[in-house]
Amino acid sequence: MGPYLSLPVLVLATALSASILPQLVRFGVGLLGNITPVLNNTHGQFSLVMLLVLAWSIRADLASGFVWALVGGVLLDHFSTLPIGASSAALLIIVYAANGAARQLYRMRVLTLLAMTFFATLCFHAYTYCALLLLGLSYDILLAVRLMLIPTLLYNLVGMLPIYALVRLAQRRIRSSTPGAPLERDAEAT
Amino acid sequence: MRLNGRANRLTLLIMMLSFCGLLAALALAGILGPVEAVVAAPLNSLSGAFTRLSVSFNQAVDELNNLGQLRERIAELEEQLARGQIELLQLREAASDYNRLVNLLAYTSALENQEFLTADVIGVDQTGIVRNVIINRGTRDGVALGMPVTTDLGLVGRISDVSANASQVQLITDENSAVSSRLQETRAEGSIVGQASGVLRLTFVDLDEEILQGDLVITSGLGGNFPPDIMVGQVTSVRQFEFELFQEAQVRSLIDFQTLELVLVITSFQPIDLSVFDQQEAG
Repeated sequence: MGPYLSLPVLVLATALSASILPQLVRFGVGLLGNITPVLNNTHGQFSLVMLLVLAWSIRADLASGFVWALVGGVLLDHFSTLPIGASSAALLIIVYAANGAARQLYRMRVLTLLAMTFFATLCFHAYTYCALLLLGLSYDILLAVRLMLIPTLLYNLVGMLPIYALVRLAQRRIRSSTPGAPLERDAEAT
Repeated sequence: MRLNGRANRLTLLIMMLSFCGLLAALALAGILGPVEAVVAAPLNSLSGAFTRLSVSFNQAVDELNNLGQLRERIAELEEQLARGQIELLQLREAASDYNRLVNLLAYTSALENQEFLTADVIGVDQTGIVRNVIINRGTRDGVALGMPVTTDLGLVGRISDVSANASQVQLITDENSAVSSRLQETRAEGSIVGQASGVLRLTFVDLDEEILQGDLVITSGLGGNFPPDIMVGQVTSVRQFEFELFQEAQVRSLIDFQTLELVLVITSFQPIDLSVFDQQEAG
C-alpha cells in the first residue's frame, strides 16, 4: 500500500511545492520579518517532497522508502534544472541513511528527528550544488549558504515535526486496515 | 521485498543509484522527452491550478497589507467628495437663483410702465395664523405701505407693515386679504379672499355671470389697492346656488407660497386712499 500511496501524495506535494508553498513561505517571512530580519530577502524553500520521503522512510521498509525516493526525485526534477533521476539519487542516499539510522533506534525522539532533517537537508542541497556544477552551472557557495541553505534548514526543521506526525498517522492507518499485518520494517527484520 | 543484512541493502541502493544514473543519462540525451511529456501533463495542470489559487491568495494578502493605505485613501476621497458636494450645492443654489432672477427680469421687462424692487423673503409670520412674510426691503429702499408684491407667476400680496429695512407682506391667501379681481375671459368682477386652508376664493360674482373651470383670474384695479391685470390664479371649481345673491369659485394661485424666496415690490404704484371720500360724505 505504501509504495502506491507515494504517487498521489508526492504528485500533490510537488505541485504544492511549485506553486503555493513559495508564496506561503514569502507570506510567513513577511509576517516574521520584524522579528527575524535575517530572513528578509532570502530564497529559502520548504522541501516538502524531501521531508515526506524522509518521514516515510524512517518507519517503513527500505524498499518502500526507495520507491518514495525514486518517485519523489523524478517529480522534483520535473520542476528543476537537473535531469530526471538526479534528485532521486540524492533521495535514495538519504533514505538509505535515515532508514539505517532508524533501525538502530528503539524510539524516534524529536532531537533525533531534527538531526536527521538537518543532515538530510544539508546532504540534499550539497548534492544538488554538486550536480549543478557538473552541469556547468556555478554559483557563489557562500551566498547560496546564506540566502538559501540556512533559511531552508530553518523551514525544514520547523516543518518536519507535523509532517512526521502526519506520515506516522497514515502509516498506522494503513497497518490497521490490513489486520494481522506486522510493521513493514518488522516484516523485513524477520 | 525482504532485505536481510547490510550487503543486500547496499546492493539494492547501488542498483537503484545505477538506475537513477541511467535515467539521468537518458534524460540528458533527450531520450526521455516523450515520457517526461506524459508525466508533465497532469503535474503541470495541477501545479497551474495551485498557482492560480496562490495568485488569489497573494492578492488577498496584498490587499490585506494595503488595507491601512486604502482606509486613508478612502478618508481622503470622502473628504474630497464632501467638498465637492458642498461646491455642487452652492452652484445649484446659484443656478436656481439665476433662473428665478431671469424669470423676474423677463416679467419686469414685459411691464415697462412699472418699477420694481427685488426683495428676498427673510421670514414668515410666527403666529401660524396670519399669512404674512417678511422681506428685506423697507422705507430706505422706497417701500411704502400698501405697495403690491408680485412674482413672475402672479400676485403675492401687499405691504402691510414697513420698517426702515424690512417689510411685512400680507399674502393674498390670508383670511383678511381681499383683492378686487375679474375673470380674464368674461370680465366678470369679483373679489379674491384668502382662506384658512390656503386656497383662494373668488366671491361676489353675479349669478348671471358664467364661471368656467380653468378661467384665469386677474386683478381688476378697482378700489385702487392693486394695479390691474396682474395674474392671481386659475379657477378650479365653481359653486353656485340660486338662493344666494352671488356665486363663488375656488381659485388656485400658480405661486407656491410655502417656498417663496424672491419677490418684486411694485414701487411705482401708489395705492389710492378712498377713505378720504368716506370722510367727505360723513362731513
